[in-house]
Amino acid sequence: MNIKFDPKKLRKTVLDMAYAGSTVHIGCAFSIIELLSVLYKSHLRYPNNDPFNKGRDYFLLSKGHGVMAQYACMRELGWLCDDDFLNYFSNGSDLKGLSDSRIPGIEVTSGSLGHGFSVGVGLAMGAKLNKTDQDTYVLVGDGEINEGPIWEGAMFAAHHNLDNFMVIVDENGFQAMGKTQDIIGLGSIQSKFESFGFDSITVDGHDEIAINKAIEKLWNSDTKKPKALIAKTVKGKGVDFMEDDNSWHYTRLDKENYRDAIASINEGDV
Amino acid sequence: MRQALSDVLVELGKKDPKVLLLTGDHGYALFDDFRRECPNQYINVGIAEQNMVGVAAGLARSGFRPIVYGLSAFVPIRVLEQIKLDVAHDHLPVIFIGDGAGFVYSHLGTSHQSTEDIACSRVIPNLSVYSPADRFELKQCLSIAYQNNSAVYLRIGKADRGDIHQSLPNIKSGRLIKVRAAKKIKYSFIATGSMVRTAIDIADKLHNINVWSVPFIKPIDRSMVEKICHNSEAVVVFEEHSRFGGLGSLIAEISSESSPVKILYVAVNDRFSQKCGTYEYLLKEHGLDFDAVYKNIYNFLLDL
Repeated sequence: MNIKFDPKKLRKTVLDMAYAGSTVHIGCAFSIIELLSVLYKSHLRYPNNDPFNKGRDYFLLSKGHGVMAQYACMRELGWLCDDDFLNYFSNGSDLKGLSDSRIPGIEVTSGSLGHGFSVGVGLAMGAKLNKTDQDTYVLVGDGEINEGPIWEGAMFAAHHNLDNFMVIVDENGFQAMGKTQDIIGLGSIQSKFESFGFDSITVDGHDEIAINKAIEKLWNSDTKKPKALIAKTVKGKGVDFMEDDNSWHYTRLDKENYRDAIASINEGDV
Repeated sequence: MRQALSDVLVELGKKDPKVLLLTGDHGYALFDDFRRECPNQYINVGIAEQNMVGVAAGLARSGFRPIVYGLSAFVPIRVLEQIKLDVAHDHLPVIFIGDGAGFVYSHLGTSHQSTEDIACSRVIPNLSVYSPADRFELKQCLSIAYQNNSAVYLRIGKADRGDIHQSLPNIKSGRLIKVRAAKKIKYSFIATGSMVRTAIDIADKLHNINVWSVPFIKPIDRSMVEKICHNSEAVVVFEEHSRFGGLGSLIAEISSESSPVKILYVAVNDRFSQKCGTYEYLLKEHGLDFDAVYKNIYNFLLDL
């Protein structure tokens, strides 16, 4: 399969569904678009394009608030259909505002934060015990790493040499109520993970080539350490009036700003 | 009872290499046999219960059969949300063993005492709740939990109150077990875990009382409960657990729908322990010692 996972198209899909469902968390989805694009395009292996395939790699969106970005990728894979998007948030529909493991292709139920990391660690350990070559990726938000279980899981992953485990931190600098540095300052996330026993690289989270290289470099490391990719991102990336404006964690689109947002993405083509 | 727990764990571990025993740095000598017999199936996750449950969920998804051990104050109470979201939501086959339920850790205080766990666990969909009274019930509960291939919380309370049964033929999940039969039934005592012993001892002093042990809190055979309530003039429910949301509430929920009966709750009142002391001392503090319970029941039956 040769799917492009074009970031502009993914962002438009997110806008379409956010507008259709009059939903929030657009900024949370936009900061991880390139990360997901690279993962789905070049790293996640789904034999026979089957989200249930027993030999698949695992991708766990622990920051469930970005789930619209994942839905957009799953549409490209053919796992979701147009109706899912047109009817987003309508009564009786399946796709929720936060990730739900009952949707094929979504591994964990999130939204309550700090869960996916540990489940991913368990999957990585399971792959080791089963002697398979499956890799596990867990994408967490920078706000999410306020949660204690992340660090419990980090110690565990390093202690058990889970070098088939990669955490990707979406460092967009914001959490629900404001800037991370004003709420719980995180300092250097890379050095935190390094001190917990991870190989770690910080990268521009919107530069697909750099992301791809960093992931390859982490996997090619000679150590037995788990991996941490720290992605510096912009919340709301791709729509000029949403970028770095945390109100788009909660703001809903109306006809006018939906149109402006699509226009802003199209302008980026030039 | 603890030796029985160790024996069944070893038996399950040897029978099924997919069985993994996870502990949050608790258990001490309890796992000596398991570690010797199944060294590669034992994981001390460290003092990190939330991660332990998440890891267990991941392992279960990978085809393993995790048994997660902790003190009842931590598993399920501390990790309730992990059990709900990471395990029960997805029907994963993880067995949670919560040890030391009730006032077992009488000298250690509130952090280690656990009288909320039945109430909190039985409201979680897809999660079964078992509460054995002796080693025979424990063995059957654990092997049924394993056969179920779904999420189970197994509550283990005071473990040295002696055998309730001399032996126990195979029981069906959900059934209540009659542990004392009267010739003529007037009242029924329904008890779980450590309090089954108390219920029997008190019934011995009174007349016309059947005593039932409830190893399966959820799911429970509702028709059996309805029948017991229907055939009794009054029911006394015993549990070393809060009077809110536990076995007493469960029996009342069922009986009130179809066979209303007057119920006395022998349970922990809405309060934390005040003082330090032996297990027996704390039972007394909470009015759950033999004398207090006997008096309570005597007056209740007198007033009927």
